[in-house]
Amino acid sequence: MSRTDTVKQYCAIFAFAAIYLLIGWFVRNSYYQLMMTLVLIWATVGLSWNMLSGYSGMISFGHAAFFGLGGYTMTIAFVTFGITPWIGIPLGIVVGVIAGIIIGLPTFRLRGHYFALSMLAYPLAMLYVFEWLGYQEVSLPMKRETPALYAQFNDQRAYMLLALVLLVICMIISLHVERSRFGRSLLAIKQNEPAASAAGINPLRWKMLAMMMSAAIGAAAGGLYAIVLLVVTPQTMFGALVSAQALIMALFGGVGVFWGPVIGAAILVPLAETLNAELGNIIPGIQGVVYGIAIIAIIMLAPEGIYWRVREQLAGRHMVPANQPASSTPIPATVVGAVPEVEEPRVQVFAAEGPLLRLQGVCRAFGGLRAVDDVTLDIKVGAIHGIIGPNGAGKTTLFNVINGFLAADRGSITFAGADLTRLKPHDVCRHGIGRTFQVVRAFPRMTVLENVVIGAFVGSNSNAEAERLAMAALDRVGLADEQAHAIAGGLTTKQLRLMELARALAPRPRLLLLDETLAGLAHDALEDVLRIIRQINRDGVTIAIIEHTMHAMVKLVDRFSVLDHGKLIADGAPVDVVRDPTVIEAYLGRKWMERAQHSVA
Amino acid sequence: MDELKWLVVDFFQAVIAGLLVGGTYGLMCVGLGIIFGVMRVVNFAQGDFMMLGMYITYYLVTGFGVLSFLGPFVGPVVGATLAGPVVFAIGWLLHRYLLARVTGARVISAEAEGHYTQIIMTLGVALVLANGGLILFGSTPLSVQTPMSRESWEIALMFFNQARTVAFVLAILFAIALYLFLTRSDLGKTLRAAADNPIAAAYVGIDVDRSHRIAFGLGVGITAIAGGLLASTQSFQPYIGFDFVIVMYAGVVLGGMGSILGAFWGGLTIGLAQQVSTLFLPYQLQNTAIFVIFLLIIFFRPQGMFGRVWERA
Amino acid sequence: MLSIRSLEVSYGGLKALNEVSLDVEEGQFVAVVGPNGAGKTTLFKTISGIVTPAAGEITYKGKNLLTVPPNQRAQLGIAHVPEGRQVFASMTVMENLEMGSCTRKGRARRAELLTAILELFPILAERRNQLAGTLSGGEQQMLAIGRGLASAPDLLMLDEPSMGLAPTIVDAIFDRIEFIHRNHGVTILLVEQRVAEALELCDRGYVLETGRMVLEGSHDTLISNARVKHAYLGM
Repeated sequence: MSRTDTVKQYCAIFAFAAIYLLIGWFVRNSYYQLMMTLVLIWATVGLSWNMLSGYSGMISFGHAAFFGLGGYTMTIAFVTFGITPWIGIPLGIVVGVIAGIIIGLPTFRLRGHYFALSMLAYPLAMLYVFEWLGYQEVSLPMKRETPALYAQFNDQRAYMLLALVLLVICMIISLHVERSRFGRSLLAIKQNEPAASAAGINPLRWKMLAMMMSAAIGAAAGGLYAIVLLVVTPQTMFGALVSAQALIMALFGGVGVFWGPVIGAAILVPLAETLNAELGNIIPGIQGVVYGIAIIAIIMLAPEGIYWRVREQLAGRHMVPANQPASSTPIPATVVGAVPEVEEPRVQVFAAEGPLLRLQGVCRAFGGLRAVDDVTLDIKVGAIHGIIGPNGAGKTTLFNVINGFLAADRGSITFAGADLTRLKPHDVCRHGIGRTFQVVRAFPRMTVLENVVIGAFVGSNSNAEAERLAMAALDRVGLADEQAHAIAGGLTTKQLRLMELARALAPRPRLLLLDETLAGLAHDALEDVLRIIRQINRDGVTIAIIEHTMHAMVKLVDRFSVLDHGKLIADGAPVDVVRDPTVIEAYLGRKWMERAQHSVA
Repeated sequence: MDELKWLVVDFFQAVIAGLLVGGTYGLMCVGLGIIFGVMRVVNFAQGDFMMLGMYITYYLVTGFGVLSFLGPFVGPVVGATLAGPVVFAIGWLLHRYLLARVTGARVISAEAEGHYTQIIMTLGVALVLANGGLILFGSTPLSVQTPMSRESWEIALMFFNQARTVAFVLAILFAIALYLFLTRSDLGKTLRAAADNPIAAAYVGIDVDRSHRIAFGLGVGITAIAGGLLASTQSFQPYIGFDFVIVMYAGVVLGGMGSILGAFWGGLTIGLAQQVSTLFLPYQLQNTAIFVIFLLIIFFRPQGMFGRVWERA
Repeated sequence: MLSIRSLEVSYGGLKALNEVSLDVEEGQFVAVVGPNGAGKTTLFKTISGIVTPAAGEITYKGKNLLTVPPNQRAQLGIAHVPEGRQVFASMTVMENLEMGSCTRKGRARRAELLTAILELFPILAERRNQLAGTLSGGEQQMLAIGRGLASAPDLLMLDEPSMGLAPTIVDAIFDRIEFIHRNHGVTILLVEQRVAEALELCDRGYVLETGRMVLEGSHDTLISNARVKHAYLGM
């Protein structure tokens, strides 16, 4: 994240390039020169795949589409119109990006299996189209007069230099993507898309950008590949093996980090090429078999790739135990000190101002089940509003409808005068509604601070500002000190809940939706979290909190709404609600009521 | 007038060819459908198991001529049928030693990440099989030539290719047998239960991993039989799997992923669409037409046309 | 019959169960009540083997249950009726019940058991060829219980049979559970949020909160306990 680290990475990239060039410069055998060039090209193709699939987690089996389009655009421009590859390759990049947009628009609606499968179909469809168009085998014409003008060189090393320049550019682009808001957002989407969109990230926008950049890199590599080999065929450009190789380089070397494809290509390409050269005549498919075995082996032994495995090994050797016991982490004085033992009367002036959030006749059904049934409800400015009810009463569904995960079937939702009824989660977040989840949706591989920074993107214009907001939010929940740089995966329940609270708090929302934030907390932890919630509320944030049990809530809230079977069965001050017979029946059952009446009688 | 008549004849001829090919496609899709339905695994190697079925049939019938004593009519049919158990065994072992590591009850309820490792694993298997096929069988396109491959029965101006017709009838028979197995036998019902709700299946004492193993073997075996049936009218080489995996997924998606009956109808429809497309599309674009159909289905009706999909309780 | 000692389960760093001990005697009706997130379902999943504990022991009929693979536990006579019913939605009612009798004991007595179950829940007999996914919530719950009974279990574990059901249906379901316990002599371990119903029926009850057993006792001591009422209504 830090600047020095970025500088270090730059040094590493240039050192790698210099050493590679040095070795390449003294290699005389043209076959090995070609192999060194191919390593670089396939590393670039791997980076192209990594840009989309590695960072966003949407696995593509169709990167041959961009590779092939880049190569064929350059070739056809050259052969048919005599356009030099120096222009042809950028042209190919443009075609690739356009294809990326056209492919992305419908395909991003799909998830998981469907996305992967349909990506496979694009290059295969193109393959047959190019065959049908009569481009079975197109050779680049030799330009003996001015070869350099047409990117043709006698010295193989020139191609290697070209490929190296392209790779270094792509590595630097990838490095910056990883460090930017763009990369962080993609990572958040990969780890937990609903949480990312609830934190104000627009998944479609970032995925599309990733697709476009990925397509551009893939097309550039395809163009370069064509000028190196001087001939294109549909199989070599659009074939399934190309798509597979793109994925294998990244997967083998390391997913989601730009060194990954470079490592993968550096190991696999020479291996497969050498075998192919030695045994290709006797054993024609050996290259594919090697790639296949490489995939199977890597999935079984190091599913994240070599880079991460090596890093893990290195880190394991000299790392302080990351999981410090939770109980030993004191609440910082800034927060504890701010909460006086005697509760100040809460600022009641807000209450007079009317509702911040208004639900009118909101309905949401799943098949025949009415999960939320005609709920009309106001949440007043400055309130702590408790929403309670037995399991399956529709509480979480109600939150999902408010924050846009689910569309309401009927009814309207207004927030501070704005209509939210049809908005997507990231837009709802932008309006100033933050939320947490019943099952904590952390980004487990990021640090606590990084988790919260994701939430802060909405409220900030720069990374520095986002980080400042995130630190402020962490400070408010008491996680600002040593925990800020711990990996979220190792936190305790309480810390996770506080981190999620901070993430929702970071963009300074006006309303917080807390979904069972208190569940599963032991007594002491519960008191701490209650204190923090009260403090946040006193600082001017309206809070709606779902809870299943009442006892913690009675002390916290100003108003209760009780849901049962999707219906609002009671709404009012805590004292009145807990005495309401319908509520008692919903909670304790009719038999309890009967018994209670008997005992009174 | 005459022209119109021939146009109509051509059309119906294409429909018949489509139905005949489609029957085999349907069986092929059923194989894939079982695997997806039970294991929720996208198997990229399915096409390569079909390829294995084709080569096994070829070697039994033509190559080594083991089955030549059965004569040119029965031989290919028996060959295709025998490919089933052989590929079943290969699938069983493959699941036992590779796939079981990344699939099964533990992974099935996990979030998307678990599924990716499965998809990628099967991609690796596909590469090994296709290229291993190239090593073992060579790249020369082959086909299982029988006297029936070129003969047709003529009924009311329409030609029914004999080999295709026999393949069609057998495909239907195998599909029916499989349907009865899944709906009538205890083992079949156990597979469906494991597919429907693996957690509940474990609660009632079903060994979900074993169910997956059987389903995987059965699925690839069925597809291999379909491949063997197809081999007498379709020339093939080791890379044919990649094309057919899309054909199969098109069928399965069309039928509704997870619905086994739907997969058959889906495959049949794809065969029909492929043959009818030859009326107005050049031969090379047949497969492109299928890919486009596949994409259209996936965009507009991902739940499929035939299957009923229940929300998992 | 079932004895749990100092059971501990963690998910990631979070302790879902902490030092949980519990005893179920042959023929007893034992209830575990507690709020959401208390760890009730985790407790059941551990008994069924879906979740592996970090520490502690579970013995069933004198046998260490933790060494038995999950799918073999049903063979020992433990039937788990899971939270949220989990019926096989794409299969018919009869097929669901047949799947319940996949165990050796169940298979041997299948016809007899299925007849008894259909008598117990006549609505299932009416809907025998209907797909389970098309049943109402209450009917699905009855089917899930029926499926559990189809293995001729010695111990029937019920995880929140009242979840998401209307009060009248809940009453009917609890009525059936009581009937099964009394007339068929099945030992029952019930997990519930509906404190009243659960405690009303049980011989022995446990209160689970945030992964710990905070209270245990006989039917009479718990039913009159003020703390139970306090814990669930905050009064």
